[in-house]
Amino acid sequence: MIDFQQVHRNYGEKTAVEDLTLHIGAGELFSLLGHNGAGKTTAIKMLVGLIRPSRGTIRVGGYDLVAKTREATSLIGFVPDQPYLYDKLSGREILHFIGRMYGMEHHQLHAATDREIHRFDLGDFVDDLTETYSHGMKQRMVFATALLHEPRVLVVDEPMIGLDPYSIRQVKDLLRAEASRGMCVLMSTHTLQAAEEISDRVGIMNHGRLLFDGTVETLREKFPSEKRTLEAMYLALTQKGASLAAEGGKA
Amino acid sequence: MSAANSEQFAPALTPHVNAAPHDSVVLRMAIPNLPSEDREAQLFWRLRYRIAQNLLRQHLAQNRLRTGLVTGLSLIFWTGLFVLFYEGFAFIVENIGPAGATYHAQTVRFVFHLFFASLNVMLVFSSAIILYSGLYKAPDTPLFLSMPIRPERIVLYKFQEALFYSSWGFFLLASPIMVAYGIVVHAPPYYYAMLLPLIVSFVYIPSSLGAIACLFVILKLPRLRKFVLVLSLLAIGATVGPLVWKTFSTPQTRLFGTEWFHDTVARFHVTEMEWLPSSWLTGGLLEAARQNPIPFGSLPADSPVVQSILYLVLLVANALFVHVLMVYFAKRWFRTSHVNLACHGTKPPVPRGLLADRIVAAGLFLFPKPLQQLLLKDWKLLRRDPVQWSQFLIFFGLLALYFMNVDRFNNPHSDIGYITWINMVSFLNLAVVGLILSTFTTRFIFPMLSLEGHCFWVLGLLPIDRDTILWSKFLFASIGSWMPCSLLVLLSDGMLNVPWMVIAVHQLTCLLLCLGLASIAVGLGAIMPVFRETSPSKIAAGFGGTLNLVLSALYIMVVVVLTALPCHFYLLASNEAWGDTILNPTYLRVWLVLGTLMAIVVGGVATAVPLRRGLRAFRQLEFV
Repeated sequence: MIDFQQVHRNYGEKTAVEDLTLHIGAGELFSLLGHNGAGKTTAIKMLVGLIRPSRGTIRVGGYDLVAKTREATSLIGFVPDQPYLYDKLSGREILHFIGRMYGMEHHQLHAATDREIHRFDLGDFVDDLTETYSHGMKQRMVFATALLHEPRVLVVDEPMIGLDPYSIRQVKDLLRAEASRGMCVLMSTHTLQAAEEISDRVGIMNHGRLLFDGTVETLREKFPSEKRTLEAMYLALTQKGASLAAEGGKA
Repeated sequence: MSAANSEQFAPALTPHVNAAPHDSVVLRMAIPNLPSEDREAQLFWRLRYRIAQNLLRQHLAQNRLRTGLVTGLSLIFWTGLFVLFYEGFAFIVENIGPAGATYHAQTVRFVFHLFFASLNVMLVFSSAIILYSGLYKAPDTPLFLSMPIRPERIVLYKFQEALFYSSWGFFLLASPIMVAYGIVVHAPPYYYAMLLPLIVSFVYIPSSLGAIACLFVILKLPRLRKFVLVLSLLAIGATVGPLVWKTFSTPQTRLFGTEWFHDTVARFHVTEMEWLPSSWLTGGLLEAARQNPIPFGSLPADSPVVQSILYLVLLVANALFVHVLMVYFAKRWFRTSHVNLACHGTKPPVPRGLLADRIVAAGLFLFPKPLQQLLLKDWKLLRRDPVQWSQFLIFFGLLALYFMNVDRFNNPHSDIGYITWINMVSFLNLAVVGLILSTFTTRFIFPMLSLEGHCFWVLGLLPIDRDTILWSKFLFASIGSWMPCSLLVLLSDGMLNVPWMVIAVHQLTCLLLCLGLASIAVGLGAIMPVFRETSPSKIAAGFGGTLNLVLSALYIMVVVVLTALPCHFYLLASNEAWGDTILNPTYLRVWLVLGTLMAIVVGGVATAVPLRRGLRAFRQLEFV
């Protein structure tokens, strides 16, 4: 469903993503891990059409993101790390605008809006202007807009930040359920515990390169010396983590 | 949602096979029926309508005073402009000739050409700048780009906003001029019907060109950045430089004399070029305003109404042409230019230990150390925010340019008319400096404390009392504004060659204005902070900012009138011809002293009261 082929992206002199090749299939939940500046958000921005690769190709559902941007993005639902909601629109008005932009007909749109309002429990505030929403309410609203048109691919950038434990549980259950229903889910996160808990596969990026792509079990096989948590293996895999682990071992 | 509906909308789960032109067979998902171009346009108009409706409803419910104030002030401004231009055109009719006379036509044509040609250039720049911030910096652009929306539609949506914001000032300025001219020359009714289509089609042309320029510059940004900067500076230098030089080097001729008139007309001959859209607008308006009865039956091709319609057709045709060009370029350039801007490289590190910082730091040696650090912090924030200082530079630079030309009013004749005129102009200049300063204190000083709310975890934990923070804002605003304002007023007085006494009164008034305006902005900023806003322009546009602007304007008027009126009459009385007969200089000296004392008292109150109340409010403020 998602196909990165030798993708490269640089910001001036600095390389943000280097030679990224990655395939994520339908019904798969893939977690992208890495330090700040590792290249996760750049990869995600390229996937949703915000920026383009300097080299290489990205396909979504078979559509090249550069040549067939409209077709490719129509298959994607996106939850950004810093979502934008129009202050002077109500949640329902935003849902209707986005649904219509994805080509939903009147009766489909209203049915889908009711479904998402119910799923994310938006009923109490969906008709208020979004400027009055709390962070948690906004996050639920953004998930509703991303899933409204029933995308084949869900891209989620740091979904757990600022959420309370109950909401984090809800997000994890939601992502797992959507993947089980056949959706292709790509999540970027720093919450290693959540990634370990719900992901089918994880990818670890460092300095723009994908260092590891596989299941947590495969990662454990790579580090057989002791029963390692994903956190320990992640730190060991990235150079910075390795030096920290070495210092810890000496102590 | 019913299962049937869900299945109907959801993309087919089974991929189907499409043959790609270049590569081998590629599996592609079926995609939903995406909106047509027209439907996309409708949806964006609906979005805009909803936002405007909610905004208006909110304003009417919560900000009635502000909405009423803005509407009322706009109406007053419009009426004032209308009266001014009505009198101006009536003057032309009385002194130069009625509509249809040669000199009348030449004069009005010159004024219209100059006015619209200036706005032509300004619209190109303003629409380009507004489109840049709306298209490349606005938070909703990434949302649109991640959705299946055509890039040209995103550009058009943002362009319509830029068109509105860049041309509303034009409508506010042009409409009273056009209406006043129509009334003065007894224009036929179709003149008024032609106004809107002529102006709208005109505005569209330079704004679209500005939009295309904006897209092109950002598209080529990585390669063109320095080139564009150097080229722009050279273009500005090549345009403004000769004009300024010519202005100063031209020998002093009698103002409004024949030689002056011919010289001025010749200097701006460039604005009358036939290929300029502003010339088509001028032609259309002047033809429509001509009194010429429409004959029954066929209309001759050279009749005013036909000529006016032809100008309109010319404008509309060109507007449509540049629209097509803009859509063409938007489709090809927008996404790439957006990527270029997002990925054009990291910013260079902030230089440390600049000479300017060291000079400011040295100049603050009189203040206590904590105050020095706070002032230095605010100075660095100002220096690194070009939005602030560039506006300051542009407005005060334009004022300086005007003041340098103001000596043209300084006529060798020493009759009472000229003395009155010069004195009035000098005080008006002082008031203008104050009014522009008040817009800056509203826009930049008033929001300062609200913006500190986001960083109060730093300031609030420092071992200094809160009063020091507020004092630092007041000192920063008052010292920072007093120096340029004082120099500007001195420049104006020097060029007008006013007496030393008037210079002294002006300098005192300028000091009072700077202290009072700084105190009002800082005090009200502490009394009415807006912590949930991060944009200073939105904070300034709120109720507190509006109140600040109104109070500042009132304060300026009171102080200037208190010092200007006695000074004005004193100068009249000092004149030999008038002194003994109408006004007695002895009593007027008392009035002068009293007026100045009253201005000092008003200035003292305007400085002390807001600051005192602000300090009290700031001590009790909770940063939530």
